[in-house]
Amino acid sequence: MINALIEAFVQLQGWLLDRVVQPPLLVLGLGSYIEMAFDGVELFLCGVLQISAAYLLLRPLEALRPIEVWPDRKPVRVDVTYSLLDRLGIIPLLVFAVLAPLFGSIDSWLRLNDIIPPQLEDLFPALETKPLASFLIYLALLDFAEYWRHRLSHSFRWWWALHAIHHSQRQMTLWTDSRNHVLDDLIGGFWFATVALLIGVPPGHFVGLLIAVKTIENLSHVNARLSFGRIGELLLVSPRYHRWHHALHLPTGEQYRHGCNFAVLFPLWDQLFGTQYRGRAMPPCGLADGPLPADAARSGFWRQQWEGLGALLAACRPAAAEATQPGGSTASDLRQEKPHAR
Amino acid sequence: MLLLGAHPATQAGLAIALNSADGTVSLIDTDSYQVTGKVNVCKEPHHLMPTPDDKSLVVACAAANQLVFFDPLTGQEQKRVRNISDPYQLGYSPNRKWFVATSLRLDRVDIYDPTDFSLIARLPAPKTPSHLAFDDASQFVFVTLQDSNEVMAISLPTQKIAWVMPVATTPAGIVMSPDNRYLLVASMGEGVVEVIEWRSRQSIRKVPTGKAAHNLQPKGDGRHFYVSNRTVDGSISLLDTQTMTVVEQYEVPGGPDDMTVRADGKELWATARFARKVQVVDLVNKRLKLSIPVGSSPHGVFFLNHAGLR
Repeated sequence: MINALIEAFVQLQGWLLDRVVQPPLLVLGLGSYIEMAFDGVELFLCGVLQISAAYLLLRPLEALRPIEVWPDRKPVRVDVTYSLLDRLGIIPLLVFAVLAPLFGSIDSWLRLNDIIPPQLEDLFPALETKPLASFLIYLALLDFAEYWRHRLSHSFRWWWALHAIHHSQRQMTLWTDSRNHVLDDLIGGFWFATVALLIGVPPGHFVGLLIAVKTIENLSHVNARLSFGRIGELLLVSPRYHRWHHALHLPTGEQYRHGCNFAVLFPLWDQLFGTQYRGRAMPPCGLADGPLPADAARSGFWRQQWEGLGALLAACRPAAAEATQPGGSTASDLRQEKPHAR
Repeated sequence: MLLLGAHPATQAGLAIALNSADGTVSLIDTDSYQVTGKVNVCKEPHHLMPTPDDKSLVVACAAANQLVFFDPLTGQEQKRVRNISDPYQLGYSPNRKWFVATSLRLDRVDIYDPTDFSLIARLPAPKTPSHLAFDDASQFVFVTLQDSNEVMAISLPTQKIAWVMPVATTPAGIVMSPDNRYLLVASMGEGVVEVIEWRSRQSIRKVPTGKAAHNLQPKGDGRHFYVSNRTVDGSISLLDTQTMTVVEQYEVPGGPDDMTVRADGKELWATARFARKVQVVDLVNKRLKLSIPVGSSPHGVFFLNHAGLR
């Protein structure tokens, strides 16, 4: 059964490459990208499978155990657009097209100067022949890096101006995790590529790592009364745990001045670095105030991108920097006073 | 390419296929065509080649910056050589004095001392250096540059770039003709094998073989080469280097890439890059005999009982 499914997947992947992708590449003189395109087709198909599975499994959960019921689900539609652009590879392709030449040049320069970037396997050679252990270690390292990327995106005013789009959604659903400004995605890609270059993420792990992260992210944004219990939430980010990260009113406390529960997969990082909040309730989500217009939660894709750029420019102005110092927004109702300091 | 004689037939033969995306090698019994094992190797292995004495099979681990040596009789790992930066395609010069590795991703060609794999020279090679070939006297190594549509000649005694010439689009596989007169370059963009008189740097002819012509493998008779045309529908052409014409064509689906010919000339094995298979072609009945499932993105197959490599 599994072999038949794999065979069907491979056949479809080959068909798409041969009939859709390869002909234009050859015509354009880009034949050397065919192998990369083959991997891209695999990523696309995995994205289709992943998002289909997420919808089939999580949408019924949202219908059966909703935290919130909305008579008008129109604001959710833009998140579906974001998800399709992300999972079907459009955004990743854009990020790749911008970053691949840059990182290729850096790596090439290093090698020409006799510098081979160290890899995890140089420290632990046994990992070379233990793919499962290797996968889990890379997953943990990347999640650690993602924790800090996420936390910093809440700490710098200019970055928060972009990331606020993700938090502007008041109707948070399984689709919300891909709702990001394209520049925020680009920075995220830059961050990931830098970490990957430093630790040497195996190409064979790449698709698996992405699927693991995206699946948990779909789950953690779901509009369903679901927690993993007191113990489970110490091990893996649950919908309730992550909902506090999106809370309209943040918990009170100096440690939460930029937010709480930044972890993507493993809550351990929040626990280690003092940003964990273990609320029992399922709070409402969104931004009470912030760098975006008040109706940002309901605007469409292009308008959100435009408004994100505007917020970024505003945040970079010296006057804005003086007016709104980062930090200090800890209590639930303080965000109005220091809107850029989540 | 290195001149190696046909190896005497072995009894229970072992074929080794490397799977680039999995980071593994599949071990295959050449008699029963069954996969007998899969071994984890390294991050992103690309291409394999035997040492000149056929006692080791060298796997180029591009993303792991190392070479892994296997015993081609047993499939057991023999040793690892680290600090080989991003090796993609490999080659020993015919005089065994040079070991050359291309770095497709990083636009570079490295020349090593094969006795201890110390780096002798590192040359920039934009853009996308792919396959390589040597002249018989080991004076030059010729490298295809896939994205700049060129062939680069590097002088081995001086380790300097001797010349660069334009060729048909997206050149990949490259071999020296048995008479040491022509370079044969497979062009993926034009679906041809381009014949180049390398001393005068003249393109003599373009022989159409099939869409996405990718790699060349000697039949072992000092005259013919198999050419893999790497599309999903896929085919393998037999090129006669005396007439410079295609004399046979086989349908081999799945993106045929690297190949090995059995010493008795009855079978050709090819990795089907896009189908996770090794395809076995019956050269007597001139048809695809069977497909052996292996790992993801298979990119090299070898067995000791192979035909001569010229």
